[in-house]
Order: sequence, then structure tokens, then C-alpha cells
Amino acid sequence: MLATWLQALVSGLAIGGVYALIALSFSITFTTTKTLNFSQGEFIGVGAFLGVAVLYLLSGQDEGAALAPGASAGFNYPLAAIAVGAAVGVIGILLFITAVRPFAGKPGMSWVMSTIGFGIILQSIGLAIWGPAPVNLPSPFGDDVIRIAGAGVRPQEILVLVVAIVLMIGLDLLLRRTRMGKAMRAVANNPSVAALMGINVSAVMIGAFALSSALAGIGGLLVAPIASASIFMGLGIALKAFSGAIVGGLDNPRGCIFGGFALGLLEASVALWQAQWREIVIFLLIILVLAIRPQGLFGARTLDKV
Amino acid sequence: MAMLEVRDIDLAYGPIRAVTGVSIRVEQGEVVAIVGANGAGKSTLLKSIAGLLPLSGGSIHFEDADISTLPAHRRVGAGIALSPEGRQVFPDQTVRDNLELGAWSRRLNVGDLAAAVEQKYTLFPRLRERQGQMAMTLSGGEQQMLAIARALMGAPRLLLLDEPSLGLAPLVIRDIFLTIRKLRAAGMTVLLVEQMANLALGIADRAYVLETGRVTLSGTGAELLQHPQVRAAYLGH
Ligand SMILES: Nc1ncnc2c1ncn2[C@@H]1O[C@H](COP(=O)(O)OP(=O)(O)OP(=O)(O)O)[C@@H](O)[C@H]1O
Ligand SMILES: [Mg+2]
Repeated sequence: MLATWLQALVSGLAIGGVYALIALSFSITFTTTKTLNFSQGEFIGVGAFLGVAVLYLLSGQDEGAALAPGASAGFNYPLAAIAVGAAVGVIGILLFITAVRPFAGKPGMSWVMSTIGFGIILQSIGLAIWGPAPVNLPSPFGDDVIRIAGAGVRPQEILVLVVAIVLMIGLDLLLRRTRMGKAMRAVANNPSVAALMGINVSAVMIGAFALSSALAGIGGLLVAPIASASIFMGLGIALKAFSGAIVGGLDNPRGCIFGGFALGLLEASVALWQAQWREIVIFLLIILVLAIRPQGLFGARTLDKV
Repeated sequence: MAMLEVRDIDLAYGPIRAVTGVSIRVEQGEVVAIVGANGAGKSTLLKSIAGLLPLSGGSIHFEDADISTLPAHRRVGAGIALSPEGRQVFPDQTVRDNLELGAWSRRLNVGDLAAAVEQKYTLFPRLRERQGQMAMTLSGGEQQMLAIARALMGAPRLLLLDEPSLGLAPLVIRDIFLTIRKLRAAGMTVLLVEQMANLALGIADRAYVLETGRVTLSGTGAELLQHPQVRAAYLGH
């Protein structure tokens, strides 16, 4: 019994870490530009597939066969993460320039449609290149289950959790401690006044989209070994992460992290009890939280003031 | 040539005309005031000088360069800083962080940045006491001091002040105006927008009266203080 709970705890924390990371990525663009990238899910899927492509290259393996378990070993996986972060970051800049900037700050919500559209285009390109079938992305630490107090834990779950936490602490420090982070928060608070300080507001917004997208791509690379990595896998993750962000408060980065973890843990513990009830319980709870606190648990503003 | 020359500018918010055919000039070392009723276009004019609003017509020249199309974030570096109407400090950042943000365009190293902050604390000792506090927890007067100090952090040669007296108690207003005098004595050039016409005209070398987006009167501060039209409309005599 304890072992099953422990197992649920670890997988809840691992998937929660991914939700938290993606929730944070939503928060980054929301606070700096008051817009969201609704193709974040496709960015996750594309991140996973780009990661696979990079690993084929790095391990010098033939594209015909599935990646060998050793393909992610050594520096290959971190190198793939850097490459994916950079590539998806560039796609994020493209998204900002084509689908967000023309509409940001104007009345109406055209950017909702245009970012969804961008995601559909991206997904279609991904399908054309890689096809609909799931791929195998081996974990750098192999698939042998580790036994902790009787619970079976996959090494990738630990890795996901550790990387997510390190990235989130890094981002938190960036936002709170560095001059760059303070400038980002100034832009988030009041773009015109930020410009009066000499801050190049559009450059900061481009940076925010690049960062947010890079996180989504890396998130894809992280979950791929524990989920079945298809080009469609990102949608569910992004939806949960978005829910986590809404529950925690979209304008509060730490709230988003909390919301993401809370959702992951909840999901894992409900699944212990009745797997088929998982989604129902989660979304009922989200609706309940929002009915009581529309701005999220730690949010300052309500969404409709945007 | 004057330090700042605004030549025949038109400004609009979409279809709404806010300023029409306004020309003003500020010489090096002067304090120039712009007075006028609510909605006359005073803030709009300052915003356009700071680069926040594009010109629909005319041009703006600063220190011999045409800055009409220079983006806002590059005008600080060019030497113009605005302390906006209603303070607009960054509420969730500390007093010190607000000040440091003011120097963004100067790319100072840690030592020079600390020295620049220290200099502002000398001008506004209250800010030193409050340096670790979030800006939103400051009183209105302290926020106004912070807004002015933050603008000064950009090391401007021309300081634009939009209604520094707004909503403040008489004693605090007196302090703020004493500071403006100190800045002038130190060689700063100031373009001041004020609704408190008596105060503004009292401190100004020259002044302009703005009415519904047009300059209707101009002269030295002393002249305008005596002008019957000004006395009737803005001084309540
Ligand atoms: N963001 C805006 N959008 C549309 N119209 C605006 C905007 N800001 C100002 N206006 C209009 O432009 C005109 C000039 O406004 P402005 O704020 O420059 O006046 P002001 O002289 O600074 O007044 P106050 O003394 O009240 O600050 C007004 O008619 C105002 O309604
Ligand atoms: Mg005004």
C-alpha cells in the first residue's frame, strides 16, 4: 500500500513538474505581453520530435530503425535539450512576429485564433515530416525500474522532476534577482513606462516568447521517454498545464508552478483510486476553484480585466 | 538653436485630435512651464516629446537632431527623461529597483549604478529610508519623489515633469518645487506641466498656455502671472 502511494507520489511529482514548467511558460508570455501561445501543445510535440532527430544525428544511427537505448547516453541528451530549446525558441520568435505582434495590445482576441492557427500549421508540417506514429525516445538513464521502499520508479521520472525544478529555480532567480528579470517585470507591469526607462519593449517581448517556447520544447523532450511521444501528445499536457496556471494564477509565476505540481499530484492519486475518473475529478476541482477564486489561488487580477 | 524645438506638431489618439499646430521651444538651463485646463493636451504633448505617441504632423528637434521618429526607448539615451503623470512607479518592485531601472539605458556597472542611486538618495533622503520597500507601499509624495528620481537616473539633460503636484498635500508640493529649484541651480533644463498655474508660473522662466490642443498665450512666467486672461482662467482672480 505504502509502495503504491510512493509510486503515485513520484509519478505525480514528475508529471506535475512538466505541468509546472509549461504553466510557467504560459505565465511568461502572459505577464510580459498579456497574450498566450495557444499552440504551446504543438510546441511540446515538435520539441520531442526534434529531440529524436537530434539524437539520431548525435548517435550516428540510421533513421530506419528505432533509437537504440544508448542513444541518449552521455552528453547526447543534454546536447539535444540545448538544440531543442534553441530551435523551438526560434519557432516561438516566428510565432510572435507572425501571429501575436500584429494583434497584441489591440482590442479583440485575434491572437487566440492566430496562435491556434500557427499550431495547426506546425502540427501539419510535423505530420508531413514525421508521420502520426509515436516514436521511442530512450531515457538517458535507461528504463530499468529503480526500487525505492518497494515502489518502482523510472529514472526518467526523477530526471524530469530534477530538471524541472532546476529550470524553475533558475527562472525564479532570473525574474527576481537579475536586471534583465526586473526589466521583464517592468514591461509586464507597464510597457510604456518601461520604454521610458530605455527598455526595448519589443525585444523583451520577443525574448519572452523565445523563452516560453524553449521551455515547451524542452518539456517535450523531458516527457517523451515516459509518455508515448507522438506529435499529438502535447495537447493534453498543455491543457493540464494551462489549467494549472489558471488555478495557481496566470500572473503569478510561483502560483503557476504550484498549480502545475498540484495537478500532477492530484492526477496521480485519483488514478490510484479509479483511473477512468481522473479527468472528471480534476476538471470538476478546477471549476470549483475558479468559481470561488476567479483570479486563481495566487493571482492578483481577474482574467477579464485583460 | 534651442535645446528642444517642437515645430507645429499635431497629435491624435486614433480619430481624436488632441493637439493641433503646437510649437514650443526650451533653451538650455531654462525651466519652461505648460499650463492649461484638464484635457487641454498637456500630457499628450509631453508623451510625444518622450516618444510615446507618434506625430501626425510637424517635427521635434533636440540638440540639433530631428528626433521625430526616434523610438521612446532611445530617447532616454538621447538625453530626455519623463516623469509621467500619476507617478507610474513599478508597484511590485522596490524603491531601489525602480531607481536602477531608470538607469537601464546607461548600462552602468555595479559600482557606478550604486553611486548614481546614492546621488538620488542625497536629493531625496526619504527614498533612502524606504529603499527596500515595494513602491506601492509608498505615500503619494514619496512615489512622486521616486518618479522624479527614477527619471533623473537616466542622466537626462532635459527633464519632463508631468503634474508633480497631483494629489499631494501643500507641504509636500512645496518640497517638490524646492527640488525643482535645486535641479535648475545644478544646471538641469526642465519642461514642467502643471495645473497649479501659480506655482508653475512662479518657478518658470517662460511658459505656454495650452487650450484645447493649441497654444493660446506665451511669455515669461512673471508676464503670464499678471496676464488678465491667465488670472481669470487659471488663478481664480
Ligand atoms: N489614451 C487616450 N485615448 C484617447 N483620447 C485620449 C487619451 N489620452 C488623452 N486623450 C484625450 O486627449 C485630450 C488631451 O488629453 P491630455 O491627457 O493630454 O490632457 P491634459 O492637459 O494632460 O489634462 P489633465 O490636466 O487632466 O492631465 C483629451 O481630450 C483626452 O480626452
Ligand atoms: Mg495630463
